[in-house]
Amino acid sequence: MSADYIWAVIAGMAVANFAVRFVPVAVISRIDLPTPIMRWLRFVPVSVMGSLIALEVLRPGGEYQAPWDGAHLPAALVSMIVYRLTKSFMGASVAGVVAFIVLRGIIG
Amino acid sequence: MPNTVNDTKDAVVARSDAAARLLRGMRLGIPIFLGYLPIGLAFGVLARTLGFTVTQSVICSATALAGAGQFIALNIMKTGASVFAVLAATTVVNLRYVLFAATMSPHLRQTRLPLQAILAYSLTDETFAINIADRRAGTATGASMAGVGLISLIGWVLGTLIGATLSGFIGDPASWGLDFAMPAMFSALLIALAENRRQAAMGVLAGAFALMLPLLAGVGVTLSTGWIIIISSMTAATIGAVTDR
Repeated sequence: MSADYIWAVIAGMAVANFAVRFVPVAVISRIDLPTPIMRWLRFVPVSVMGSLIALEVLRPGGEYQAPWDGAHLPAALVSMIVYRLTKSFMGASVAGVVAFIVLRGIIG
Repeated sequence: MPNTVNDTKDAVVARSDAAARLLRGMRLGIPIFLGYLPIGLAFGVLARTLGFTVTQSVICSATALAGAGQFIALNIMKTGASVFAVLAATTVVNLRYVLFAATMSPHLRQTRLPLQAILAYSLTDETFAINIADRRAGTATGASMAGVGLISLIGWVLGTLIGATLSGFIGDPASWGLDFAMPAMFSALLIALAENRRQAAMGVLAGAFALMLPLLAGVGVTLSTGWIIIISSMTAATIGAVTDR
């Protein structure tokens, strides 16, 4: 892998990543969005999180994994429950990782 | 001159206010920092094994700030793909940021363009979720959001630096189970972001769609992870909005 190739990718990613994040902010914050679109946007955050979690937990590494196989799903549930009880992202994240490591040790 | 004195005093108060909010945001973002460290570390190790120098690894993390996008870039670079192919794939993965940015935008009306640029640059799944939850609680400000972004960036870049520097000594971070830090945080964020039952239901529905879409490969339609996330979440959000009366 040549240094030029790597630098070209780095530069391109810097520009592309900034553009997809900044252009919508700069444009949409200056206009009034119609109510239906605002209503739609309220559902976007949970939907994206739901998709991300489902893929991480039930299709880790790009392979389907049954809910009862592996530590992913139970550990994710531990994280959700701990957040629900404590309202602490830190507590929930740490609990999820610890649950994952412990369960993986048990389940294998 | 009394006005000038007052103005100066106000400015000082405003500045210390902003500093306090920035610090509050940084505290709020500590879980992100802790989650990014091991994943940034994994990126650093992987980048080095593919031929990146330490400097290149760190600059890549600091300028792209795109977790999944960066890993996918490495995977495609490994195959010797063109620069354009690498950029196209990582941009698709990161298209969900368009949704995030659009969702954040109404909250950023009072924010000036330079700060908008900084917030856009530090926009990730995690900073977005924390900031939008904080915004809904009514406690987020431009400065606090910048603080969340700053501590996250530090975690990501520091992790990359450690991983790239010590790549020879560190094995695969996934073997320690630390790679679960992200899914664990996402799980908590889902609970934090769901304002009501309908939203929670749409989160579950989006997850179900995301799991079904890879099956389209059976009929010859292979979707990348980026498209799967976009299609499944946009479909679920649309169903949620349409049925919400």
